[in-house]
Amino acid sequence: MTLAPAHVAGVGMIRFGRYPADVTLEDMAVRAARAAVDDAGTDLSVIDGLYVGHVFGGPVAGQRVAAQLGLDGRPVSNHENYCASGASAVREAWVALAAGLHDVALVIGVEKMTDRVSGGVRPDPGDLDAAVGYVMAAGHAMSARRYMADHGATREQIAAVAVKNHAHSVHNPWAQYQKPIDLPTVLNARPIAEPLGLLDCSPISDGAAAVLLVSPAGLRRLGIDGPTPRVLGVGLVSGSVQTGLGDPNAEDVSRRAGEQAWELSGVDPADLDLVEMHDCFTIAEIVRMEGLGLVPRGQGAAWTAAGETALGGRLPVNPSGGLLSRGHPVGATGAAQVCELTWQLRGSAGGRQVEGAQVGLAYCKGGTVNGTDGGSVTTVVMTR
Amino acid sequence: MSIPVAVDRPFRSDLLTLDPPRLRGSRCPRCATTVFPPRAFCPACRSGAEPEHVALGVEGRVCSFTVVRQAPAGIEVPYVLAQIDLPADGVRLMATVVGVAPEDVVLDMPVTLETCPFGSDEDGAVLVGYRFRATGAEVTA
Repeated sequence: MTLAPAHVAGVGMIRFGRYPADVTLEDMAVRAARAAVDDAGTDLSVIDGLYVGHVFGGPVAGQRVAAQLGLDGRPVSNHENYCASGASAVREAWVALAAGLHDVALVIGVEKMTDRVSGGVRPDPGDLDAAVGYVMAAGHAMSARRYMADHGATREQIAAVAVKNHAHSVHNPWAQYQKPIDLPTVLNARPIAEPLGLLDCSPISDGAAAVLLVSPAGLRRLGIDGPTPRVLGVGLVSGSVQTGLGDPNAEDVSRRAGEQAWELSGVDPADLDLVEMHDCFTIAEIVRMEGLGLVPRGQGAAWTAAGETALGGRLPVNPSGGLLSRGHPVGATGAAQVCELTWQLRGSAGGRQVEGAQVGLAYCKGGTVNGTDGGSVTTVVMTR
Repeated sequence: MSIPVAVDRPFRSDLLTLDPPRLRGSRCPRCATTVFPPRAFCPACRSGAEPEHVALGVEGRVCSFTVVRQAPAGIEVPYVLAQIDLPADGVRLMATVVGVAPEDVVLDMPVTLETCPFGSDEDGAVLVGYRFRATGAEVTA
């Protein structure tokens, strides 16, 4: 089944980072929403429905934002899929447009984390993994150690993901960190969960990003005739219960999310020009690219160290700087990735532009569930 | 009338028995796939046949591990967290590993199930959970 694409009429975000306590979740969301509407050259009155992704925002955060935007009374829904929440909100907006329910939908991903999360993110306390001391960093550390043993990859090759993404971030004014870092700095950073150190981990951040999605009817209504990159499809899968003693880095959940994306969008993965990948941890970028089938199994670390996934390489991954540099306000990340794809596909990404970018993928993986290979995975395929 | 005395009990009775100390899994009568924690369906063949409860073997080996050096408030660090394979059952699960210095843990290291305190309930009863001990290591607290 093929659903109609949605056009991106406008995008906007605030620079991710650590905001003072008096900058509220609602404040950040409003600023991103206004930026997206301004980018589209329209105003808030045109919006038919609001889709808000967040994790720690509390009950009806979306409606709290709507009441600040003057969108009170409109349909508002809140979407929680942990780190895939923003992308899940994009998916629901795309579905609503394709169904003809709305012509103009505003998606906001927003998170205020620095005043309520410290020491790292964890699964729900009711999940068995939490009872045995699981934290997200530990899962990726175990992934990294097994990956190195199974594929002969080195610690340095895995750390190269952080070096590459921070090099990209120098050109991204929206990124929390915009400075290059070298390999020894990554390797010598304070250990968090061995073998991973502080700079293998994305930061705990505040931020918001917004995407104004419209149907062809919405484009006409808004009178937009400029470039409007299209969301061709958004895959969504959940992790499956694992059995047996197979490869813990198989990332079958990523394979399934990718195949769904190719089917929904009609895009051949060989035609991708860039990927915005959920690099919540360095190793995660490597094993997820392999799971998607975009990098040969076991070669992702070597590819990274060789520059194949850097700007100018065979398949640029995270020209934005990724979560490692842009920051990771968890519910906002998926929407920020769509902002980046939009800028890339418009050709307006400045110093981080992937030359001639025509087709891009944004991937998020959110949460963990005991015994499965993941919580939720989203795959947004966009074209110029 | 006797005063009730709080008795140690598993933190989750569906997962663990204390005498003998064993993890409880489920096994599919159709395809014999065993899983932990026990589930009401077989995730391998999905045949709909109701799985049977089984006691899992206690001998394991380290599939992968990490030394956790930073954790949210309330979790004492460092500790060794591992993916443990139970080869006799074809089951992989997550647990902490003790009885070995963090820098001496290696992949495929043999480990054995043991019980340990997982906090206490409101009546003061010790809640008993599980972890793995490096096999051959001296028994220490």
